[in-house]
Amino acid sequence: MKRIGTALAAILMIGSGLVSASAATLRVGIQDDPDALDPALSGTYSGRFVFAALCDKLVDISPDLKIVPQLAEAWDWAPDGKSITFTLRKNVTFHDGTAFDATAVKFNIERMKTMPDSKRKAELAPIVSVEALGADKVTFNLSEPFVPLLANLSDRAGMMVSPKAATEKAGDFAAAPVCAGPYQFVERKSRDLIRLKKYPGYWNAGAVGYDEVVYYYVPDSTVRLSRVRAGDLELAERVAPTDLKTVRDDPNLTLHSGQGLAVSHLMFNVGAGANADTPLGKNATLRQAFELAIDRNVINRVAFNGEFLADNQMIPPSSPFYDSAHKAPARDITKAKALITAAGMTRVPIEIQYENTAGDARVAQIMQSMAAEAGFDVKLLPMETTTAIERYLNGNFEAYIGNWSGRADPDPTLVAFFSCSGSQNVNKYCNKDLDAILTQARGEADEAKRKALYAKATDIYLTALSSIPLYHPNWFFAARKSVGGIVMVPDGLLRLVGVKPTN
Amino acid sequence: MSTTEAAPVPAQMRGGGRSEIRRLLREPSAVIGGTIILFFVALAVFATWISPYDPNTPDWMAIRAAPNAAHWFGTDDLGRDVLSRVIFGTQASLAAGLVSVTVAMLIGLPFGLVAGYFGGATDMVISRIADALLACPFLVLAIALAAFLGPSLQNAMIAIGISAIPVFVRVARAETLVVRTEDYIAAARAQGLGHLAILTGQVLPNVLAPTIVQATLTMAIAVLAEASLAFLGLGQLPPAPSWGAMLDVARQFLGEAPWMALFPGLAIIALVIGFNLIGDGLNSALNPRQ
Repeated sequence: MKRIGTALAAILMIGSGLVSASAATLRVGIQDDPDALDPALSGTYSGRFVFAALCDKLVDISPDLKIVPQLAEAWDWAPDGKSITFTLRKNVTFHDGTAFDATAVKFNIERMKTMPDSKRKAELAPIVSVEALGADKVTFNLSEPFVPLLANLSDRAGMMVSPKAATEKAGDFAAAPVCAGPYQFVERKSRDLIRLKKYPGYWNAGAVGYDEVVYYYVPDSTVRLSRVRAGDLELAERVAPTDLKTVRDDPNLTLHSGQGLAVSHLMFNVGAGANADTPLGKNATLRQAFELAIDRNVINRVAFNGEFLADNQMIPPSSPFYDSAHKAPARDITKAKALITAAGMTRVPIEIQYENTAGDARVAQIMQSMAAEAGFDVKLLPMETTTAIERYLNGNFEAYIGNWSGRADPDPTLVAFFSCSGSQNVNKYCNKDLDAILTQARGEADEAKRKALYAKATDIYLTALSSIPLYHPNWFFAARKSVGGIVMVPDGLLRLVGVKPTN
Repeated sequence: MSTTEAAPVPAQMRGGGRSEIRRLLREPSAVIGGTIILFFVALAVFATWISPYDPNTPDWMAIRAAPNAAHWFGTDDLGRDVLSRVIFGTQASLAAGLVSVTVAMLIGLPFGLVAGYFGGATDMVISRIADALLACPFLVLAIALAAFLGPSLQNAMIAIGISAIPVFVRVARAETLVVRTEDYIAAARAQGLGHLAILTGQVLPNVLAPTIVQATLTMAIAVLAEASLAFLGLGQLPPAPSWGAMLDVARQFLGEAPWMALFPGLAIIALVIGFNLIGDGLNSALNPRQ
């Protein structure tokens, strides 16, 4: 049996070797089938994953979360912070051969702000007008100082599409997108594959290593990994933490891992309807007791083989705005019990809802067991994903395990969850002081001062604990040894410039 | 006419139940099936005393431990004893089998009796509804109902029970159609007995035997259905053990911790075989046509 397996693997390897000898193709397994391939409409991680090869952005983020040039070579904030001027890269063309210039930038920003179903409106909201000052200079005028703008432009809001194609194709643009990235669109088979080929006119074409890249939709992480092991794919994104040993033990594979921006946290309903009327919902002391009753390191070790990052903040330690002064408290059952007694209780009931996925189910059961020792009677309510999300958005829960993808800048995350009118503030936490600090921070261009403001914000939300952050997931890609030059960036997207076959 | 005044006792009911039990004990499949079921019933009843550990207490230091002297069936992803969870899981599986089939029988049997006995429009309405329910595959119907009711063992049992009703309607109706043309029914009617008295006193006892056979076979399906629902997260709420839910978790660790899947899987197979064997045995012993 083993010999047959080896023979088969050999045949597959020879087969794939022949293929890559004729034209270097990078085959990538992705977990979800992307939605619309239009940066203005896209709403999925897998869509962004494909865009990383297809559409360049004005700016990019580096592995250490700094803003770095991409289509814009430099930028200047006005002293009052209410406008920013970009110097654009010269000799850049879109995949249809048309030139990328200041007019194209103006077109793109206006398109994303005005298109009826654009999902970028909120990210670009502070931009009042765009002025093309010359072929390579463009100014964005803002209604108020808004430092997170650059981080927003490092994602879909900053992706530039060909104005010609977008105008001509209008509604059909997503079926065959035309951008200015290293690879251009060839074909898409729904729920199967997306094929791109190298764009010879790319401004950095010399650093593009493969002639073709194909994204295959393979939803099961174990199957994705087996296909990489069989030589059927070169790379699989999001390998399950429990499969990492397999990757490390396979001599043909390399594990690429990196810190992410995402956070998993336990939200308590503190103000949304009748479900907020629980001891934990009403009393921050009890929430502190809950935090002391759980051990984040055990959660990480048991549920994720210790491959994630146990942490107590919404912002990951990889962010320059992470507050290292607020360390995660160690588990302290005696203190947790004392806090419960101080609140005049002995047993504290709480129902935790979560999406019925393997990871959340384990985390929930581990917390249930740990919290019980301190005096919390935790009831678990696993929900099918669609129902769970609907109940989450309606604030229909006592406590909920939330999973947030995170952003390069701390502003979107903190505002979404902790400002009184935040889009993810479904548990209805509200603190006017915190609101004021967050508003001030988004206008503060000085990094040190901004960091100090976020430290204050961290202090407030970690005292109120309307949400207890638990851990940050890490990114894991499994790639064959033959793929060189992969650099992991906290947004978890595979950048293909610099990636090339090693042999 | 005087001959018909003797109590109208149907042929196969004569001699009480003793001869059936004797016949049943001569059926090897019934004996083996019965032994298996009794074994699981004993596990479920004495779970608290038999199981070596609390089924829900995790041991963070022994996650996914292979079978060893301390944990005969190994431990699961949270370090809980698999043997104890298989033993306690028996309760959920047996409860699902017994309760849901009892529910289905209590509702399905009367409707089937009424449909077969009265015929006509009544039969038409009841049979069409039963047919419509039967047209939907059993498990699909159960999943839809369980998803609608929300996850819990109780709701899973209700969902499985409702899904199994049409089977009992059909069996009871078919048997009633045969029985109602018998002379003793005509005799009972001639005696002036009401419909209710005839249905409960004359028809029901004769329809009961095939229904019980059907019930044991349906229990096997119900046990599988409970495991399937739990596998999909629509059954027993965590952390309480259920074989199906154990399999769902074990699926992620098939390579590195196969014992997590092996033992609950074997338990499901054994219990389902037990119900099927006893159903076959009952069928042979009770069916006068064989």
